[in-house]
Amino acid sequence: MPIDIKRGDTVLEAKGITKRYPGLVANDHIDFEIKAGEIHAILGENGAGKTTLMKILFGMVQPDEGEIFVHGEKVHFKSPLDAIRLGIGMVHQDRMLIPAHSVIENIILGHPSAGNIMNLKRTSEEITEICAKYGFNIDLKAKVWQLSEGEKQVVEILKALYRGAKILILDEPTSALAPPEVKKLLASIKIMTGDDLALVPFITHKLPIVLTVSDRVTVLRRGKITAQLDTLDATENGLAREMVGRDVIFRLERVEVKKGKPILEVEKLSALNDKGLPALKAISFSVHEGEILGIAGISGNGQQVLAEVLAGLRDATGGKVLLDGVDITRSSSLDKWQKGMGYIPSERRDVGSIGDYSIAENVMMNYYFDDELSNWGVLDLKKIRKLTEKIISEYGVAVPGPDTLAKSLSGGNLQKVILARVFSRKPRLLIVNLPTQGLDVGATEFVQNKLLEAKKEKAGILLISEDLDEVLSLSDRVAPIYEGEFMDIIPIEQARREDIGAMMAGFKHKVAAT
Amino acid sequence: MKLGNYQVKLEKKLKVTGLEAAAISTLAIVIALALVSLIFLKAGVNPIIGYTKIFSYAFVNKFGLPLTINRSVFILLCTCAFIIPFRAGLWNIGMAGQLYAGGLGAFAVALAFGAKGPQNLDLSPGIIIPLMMAGAALGGALVGAIPGFLKGRFNTNEIVVTMMLNSIAFWLVAFMIKDGGLFMGAGGEGEGFKLPQSLYAPQIMGGPFTILIALALTGFLYFMFARTKTGYQIKAYGLSPSAARYAGISSYKIPLLVFIIAGLIAGLAGYHLFAAVPGVYKITQNYGDFGDLSFYGIICGLISLGNPLAAIPIALLFGGLTNGGRYVQGELQLGFGIDYALLGVLMITLVAFQFFFRYKIVWKKLAKEKKNV
Repeated sequence: MPIDIKRGDTVLEAKGITKRYPGLVANDHIDFEIKAGEIHAILGENGAGKTTLMKILFGMVQPDEGEIFVHGEKVHFKSPLDAIRLGIGMVHQDRMLIPAHSVIENIILGHPSAGNIMNLKRTSEEITEICAKYGFNIDLKAKVWQLSEGEKQVVEILKALYRGAKILILDEPTSALAPPEVKKLLASIKIMTGDDLALVPFITHKLPIVLTVSDRVTVLRRGKITAQLDTLDATENGLAREMVGRDVIFRLERVEVKKGKPILEVEKLSALNDKGLPALKAISFSVHEGEILGIAGISGNGQQVLAEVLAGLRDATGGKVLLDGVDITRSSSLDKWQKGMGYIPSERRDVGSIGDYSIAENVMMNYYFDDELSNWGVLDLKKIRKLTEKIISEYGVAVPGPDTLAKSLSGGNLQKVILARVFSRKPRLLIVNLPTQGLDVGATEFVQNKLLEAKKEKAGILLISEDLDEVLSLSDRVAPIYEGEFMDIIPIEQARREDIGAMMAGFKHKVAAT
Repeated sequence: MKLGNYQVKLEKKLKVTGLEAAAISTLAIVIALALVSLIFLKAGVNPIIGYTKIFSYAFVNKFGLPLTINRSVFILLCTCAFIIPFRAGLWNIGMAGQLYAGGLGAFAVALAFGAKGPQNLDLSPGIIIPLMMAGAALGGALVGAIPGFLKGRFNTNEIVVTMMLNSIAFWLVAFMIKDGGLFMGAGGEGEGFKLPQSLYAPQIMGGPFTILIALALTGFLYFMFARTKTGYQIKAYGLSPSAARYAGISSYKIPLLVFIIAGLIAGLAGYHLFAAVPGVYKITQNYGDFGDLSFYGIICGLISLGNPLAAIPIALLFGGLTNGGRYVQGELQLGFGIDYALLGVLMITLVAFQFFFRYKIVWKKLAKEKKNV
């Protein structure tokens, strides 16, 4: 489809896009235009209508009202195929790749020119050319399961480019990437816009990145556009205010709590990952009352395994775990809950909640074993309802009531339910795994404040996070983890961003005394 | 999709109410009957007469009705035995083997009290009948515990294990009742010994008391799933094993528990069939046919979506139709198995109509499209 696109031409225009779902208007008369050679970021909290808009632009959902123009012509997308034909590409946050296939096989999968006989040689030359042009560095023969999140994203982008995409929709492009990968991606994005491609990243958080790369920003709140401006005129706080509808505190008030006696003591703990390889290598540390120990690391360095072993979901192969001086290394997870441990898993939908259960039933996940809530094995539904209502109102979960199914909650609301449920047990020890990943600014702020509150109430907290800013702003001590080992454990006063970043990447730096 | 001036769309439903489900299922039944009436027409039978005969024999006739009820109770118990693991996300395909074991358990108790003898033997039913039921429950539970244990401990596929056990239990029964087996009847016609009259199950309002037991069990299961801690844990495990593990629900105990209860109930179905249904009172030569009949429990369980109360009318319908269909086939001299045809079509429509449990069709009048150039 040879279309002559010049820099600054309007390539995509949306007029009055409206989409209603039962009980809510996901998109309410959205107007915007996207120009060639421009990065036009769409900002919004979870539930602001970003996902719906994105799906409409890519033909996955049909709008109730409104019109879309591509290169000045009115279009009706019946399915994503129509959108792809018109040069729109989408890079999903949930990767749509086949792990067992190689990079090149994934790229040509479903490509119109890939017939029954694949000309891999020619294809790989073409793809290599695209890579060279935009500065992507990837082994086309590698299997997708061997790739990091950032590389997988590159594959998705290549897939769209190879199909001739001129407009690229990027869903949370930086959320799963490690800092160096983000840098590389941004560099490639810059080259792409130089080539008159239009990029439309959809973003919930990481506002600074938005400010550094994008040309224009459209902010959505509750289905409506609240701001549309050139990035040059935007400030981080201003954007956050438009997104959330109120001022957001970016600097959290660190609370100083007198460090108490140790709650969790871990001695030479080792464990294997799902592939049977050593993922934790004789780790030792302790967490004290009123203390947050932050574990900083790039995903896949053993944090997940550590959390699971501590929570009783994975067997340790060696070492000891003491909770208040009692050995709980081999205790069941139920036993750990009853002994005052609380675990907030990173997999909110698959592990932390049950989608087909109501909120009340999800609250019960951490309460069903309490004698107070049942008589002779019969659950006291009234008490459970009351408890749920209390949690919903205290934590400001925006739902009709306790009977709402968990699967209909947004990520932020679901995390609030999980947090509320675990925190309401007043655990002595909290293991918190990626508590704010994928959450919008407002929900992130809320979660972080709740963690500080729990600290004030003398809980010991083990915070696992891939967001270095989060670790630095919340923790009292920081432990960078690399390949199943702590590189060091550093008191926050001595923690320097660069040192910790280097340690996360595997360099053993001694922190210079200050 | 567009139809004239209307836009027709499918929308996902989050929840379906009991009333809606009942209405949708009734519609499915009506459509199945309408479809099968074509078969009647092809065979030269007026479908209205055909259906009148089927339903009046199954649900009104004084010979037909008791047969329907006994058969339905059997199907209902098998349905319960399917539903319990089903709610835990596990498939019990082994009701046949479990009910055979239940039959053996019941008759083992009877044998132990010397029941293998003349028909007028005077034994005390007050003690032996409860023990026979316990024996049946134990036999079924033991066979049920095997797949439960293997699933919980080694994550073995429960479908394979239960199906294999069906064969094992089938031949175990053959071993016991045929060719000089311990339970062989006096006549030696390849069937088990007959209970003496004193051990016939007591009748309540013309039917065996096992009807009440089946209804009570069904009610209990409903309550268990709706209100109890155990039910909550079973459902949680069924909906998301990983979330259940997170909540401290044992991934060993739940499979074991559900299969033990399932086996126990299937064992009672064996007791009902071989020791309580009037006119039987023995492990019959064609016991394998009843094993096959137990598979209706799977269908009923799936159609009722694991709701024990919803299973009652469905089991009754299936029991009635197998019974009435078989009767009408002889009565009208049809050359084919109308009961199987009817049940087959019914299963398909019931399952197909469950589409409407999850989706609804929305009609919307289209606005005249504006030209925009």
